[in-house]
Amino acid sequence: MNHIDEQDVQPLVDRDKRLADARALVAAIENGDDANEARLVGDLTAGYSGTIFDEVGRMTREVHDTLRSFAEDERLGVLAEDEMPGARDRLHYVITLTEQAASRTLSITEEATPVAEQVVERSRRLKAELAKVAASEADNPRLRSVVDSITHYLEATTGSGERLKQQLTEVMMAQEFQDLSGQLLMRVIDLLEQLEEKLVGLLQITAPVRGSRVDGRAAERAEEGVGPQLPNAGDNVVRNQDDVDDLLASLGF
Amino acid sequence: MDRNMKILVVDDFSTMRRIIKNLLKELGFTNIEEADDGQTALPLLKQGNFDFLVTDWNMPGMTGIDLLRAVRADERLASLPVLMVTAEAKREQIVLAAQEGVNGYIVKPFNGATLKEKIDRIFERVES
Repeated sequence: MNHIDEQDVQPLVDRDKRLADARALVAAIENGDDANEARLVGDLTAGYSGTIFDEVGRMTREVHDTLRSFAEDERLGVLAEDEMPGARDRLHYVITLTEQAASRTLSITEEATPVAEQVVERSRRLKAELAKVAASEADNPRLRSVVDSITHYLEATTGSGERLKQQLTEVMMAQEFQDLSGQLLMRVIDLLEQLEEKLVGLLQITAPVRGSRVDGRAAERAEEGVGPQLPNAGDNVVRNQDDVDDLLASLGF
Repeated sequence: MDRNMKILVVDDFSTMRRIIKNLLKELGFTNIEEADDGQTALPLLKQGNFDFLVTDWNMPGMTGIDLLRAVRADERLASLPVLMVTAEAKREQIVLAAQEGVNGYIVKPFNGATLKEKIDRIFERVES
């Protein structure tokens, strides 16, 4: 967009005429001559306001041209109608994937924690029973020595079991990322929705009737890679390794 | 503190409900129910003789702060201890929650030790 340069704000009338008008205006105000005052104010500002109107006119034309080129830009239509909803779906899918991963991890920690608890509990009980045996067999040094080494082993096992339990709790707590990242993504999705709505609204105003879009894009991009596919991506997308193998087999591999 | 007390855990993310539930179990609490937002939590609270409410803030339907207000406004629930466990970490939010009568406030990410400490403190005060 052009800037208003100094040339544009120069009044149309010459300096002497402006000075004379200004002096006459002061005199008119001093004399209380309302009619002349109003006329002189008009004369003095006429040059300026003319320039301002010209400038507003030019800006209006620029806005108009910009909006027209905006409407003619196919890319924006694709963005609003296709790519932004697509981006939204991908983010929703990221939330689903992280939720599944977190849920799987939680299931495993929920199963593993009682196992670790049992190891601790059984080791403690066995150690207590062995202590009783050792007390009643105080005069059997060979048995005492075996009991001692098993007791040491059980103590170590109890410690390992406790540590394992703590680490499983840490693994469980680490799944908290899913809530936090999910909340952040929901906000981005919300923002995308608002942007999309505004963009569609703007496109409808500037181009009520839009022609159908060219669709050479999909072919162009497949070569570059298009990223993971969403579950409802359609029939031209493989769903699992079996589909891949079937496809390859049909091609003679 | 009664380890058999009935606790309601409210969070829209199932992952977080599960984590809180597991942490509470580790602390010895076993009588735990879940709800996914304030709207489903409130009827449960009104019927259920709950002793303790653990809630998130940012949830669809009814937020945690509105749930807290509804609890405090209900004659029979007004004195229910409420702990907020939320990612909302702005000072004014914490101040607001305090003004609305929250008993404890934990900002995510958090850990089991923090949860234990807050619960201990809440029930020390409630019981004294």
